[in-house]
Amino acid sequence: MTPETGASRLEAWNDRLAEYEAGRHTGAFQAALSRMRRNKLLLIGSALGILVVFAGVLGPVIYGVDHTLQSFRDTHLPPGAPGHLLGTDHLLGAHLLGTDHLGRDIAARLFIGIRVSLAVAAGVTVFALVLGLLLGMFGGYLGGWRDRAIRGVVDFVWGFPLILVAVLLAGGLGGGLFPVILAVGLVNTAAIARVVRGEVLALSEREFIEAAKAGGLSTPRIMFRHLFPNILAPALVLASYYVAVAIIAEAALSFIGLGAQPPTPSLGVMVSDGRNFLRQNHWESTIPGLTVVLLVLSVSLIGDGLRDVFDPRLRHEAKGVESG
Amino acid sequence: MKTLAARTVYMVVVLVLSSIAVFYAIRLSGGDATAARLPASATYEQREAFKDQLGLNDPIYEQYFNYIGRVFSGDLGTSLTNNAQISDLLLTHGRNSLILGAAAFVLVFAIGIPLGMLASLRRNSWWDGGIMTFSVAGMAVPNFWLALLAVWLFASVLGWFPSAGCCSPRQLALPAVVLAMEGIALTVRMTRSAMLENLNQDFVRTLRAGGLSESSVVGRHVFRNALVPIVSLAGLRIGQIVGYALVVETIFGWPGLGQVLVNAVLRRDYPVAQFFSLVLVTIVLLGNWLADVGYTVVNPRLRKA
Repeated sequence: MTPETGASRLEAWNDRLAEYEAGRHTGAFQAALSRMRRNKLLLIGSALGILVVFAGVLGPVIYGVDHTLQSFRDTHLPPGAPGHLLGTDHLLGAHLLGTDHLGRDIAARLFIGIRVSLAVAAGVTVFALVLGLLLGMFGGYLGGWRDRAIRGVVDFVWGFPLILVAVLLAGGLGGGLFPVILAVGLVNTAAIARVVRGEVLALSEREFIEAAKAGGLSTPRIMFRHLFPNILAPALVLASYYVAVAIIAEAALSFIGLGAQPPTPSLGVMVSDGRNFLRQNHWESTIPGLTVVLLVLSVSLIGDGLRDVFDPRLRHEAKGVESG
Repeated sequence: MKTLAARTVYMVVVLVLSSIAVFYAIRLSGGDATAARLPASATYEQREAFKDQLGLNDPIYEQYFNYIGRVFSGDLGTSLTNNAQISDLLLTHGRNSLILGAAAFVLVFAIGIPLGMLASLRRNSWWDGGIMTFSVAGMAVPNFWLALLAVWLFASVLGWFPSAGCCSPRQLALPAVVLAMEGIALTVRMTRSAMLENLNQDFVRTLRAGGLSESSVVGRHVFRNALVPIVSLAGLRIGQIVGYALVVETIFGWPGLGQVLVNAVLRRDYPVAQFFSLVLVTIVLLGNWLADVGYTVVNPRLRKA
């Protein structure tokens, strides 16, 4: 039996602490996981989301048809029709969803369109999340004139309809996906900054922040080590809502000709291309549109599910944001 | 009413700031302003002369003050693409947009409020489920796709309504409903939750205990209270309608302000884009201001603050 020395006692204590910490973490994590598993919204949304992301990422590789190839002998083919473009060794030997007015394969364009949609959504969300978190945290925690200045700018942007901001920016910067990302990013930043600021204001009153201040921690340290982890979850949940907004906005702007420029296939552009042929071949327009709806639906379901799992308190706030 | 004055001052400040922002944003495009009018073969000198003529080589702040001065003296300039007077465009297209926007605005409340009431009074029934599903769908479906489905079903397949054009009532029906859809969905939600909130209040129990008929409790007391936030925030719907009008007018070929702006941006017709941006921004700000005022008027607690 080893004698009880200070060192061994410390070691034992550390072991127990580590065990406790580990247990606590896996416990919380598993609880969250099991809540996620029981949450139907999240399950359906994730399944749908995985399906669409899969189509966007691997679809073009598996399907193996060039989305830019045109063939004027093969315009407006119905789904499943064989075409001259497809080699004899092709997987299906047929245009899965038919062809458009230039004889391009709709399925191949759809897969790339999903990619564009996802890329824009990712760009917007990263932009809005980073800037929104920073602005909201600085404004809410520092207060004073800095808060007033940030709030002024945020409210200014927030007051305008998204599409109008995007059209104005496109007017200045020209068409393309960059103005879309910038416009939607700015408006979403305002939305996130508003909520983050509110959360930070509430947290600043709590004891652990008081304690950190009393302990003489520097302001940046309090903000990034103590406030930040506490607002990250609600901000992420909120951001998942605005992914849906980004997807719709990109499609709508591309639809009216201000977003993706040819030859980039965007779901909005495809809907727009097909609208002149609604009577004969409605699928040229309705299928890309339905894809947008599925994307938006999956993102919204995931957002709702995440909110229920991680932050039931946000339920009311998020509704307030929507109706605001 | 100190807050009202403050709100108004705030709106004017925001209006000035946003007019400056719009002005600068439109000019970010630089040399492209000449592309709308001059042929591609125009020399550098011709382009510069053209820009001098339009004052585009002056410092931007000088251009801004000149422009604002001209707008206030009623000289709105002409389009670069077809020489149309912008004031004429404003009159004809403004009228069309007013018709469409007003129709959508009325629909938002005429459909949204009754549906929301029905859902709240038949809570947890099939009615409630159906109406709330409709509401969720109305918010999730992008309106340009809804527009296409409507055109496909009602114009192409059934042939009940024309697919585009202006301005007969039959041509108005589809764009107005599509434009209103998200507002309807939101109003249904807001009405339902406001009604439920009020139905659970103590005063309702008191009224019932006092022997008031259920229709009187709901119609005269609960409904009126529930309506307050919805009507007072109606101004926000104006901004929403303006935003969606850009898309919906383009789809249905409705010659309104939104369509003019989108076309001007696409064709780089900067005088038109600039003016109609300012018009739409002003309408949105007025709507937000109305909502601010409405909310302050009905909410005495905010008046003192």
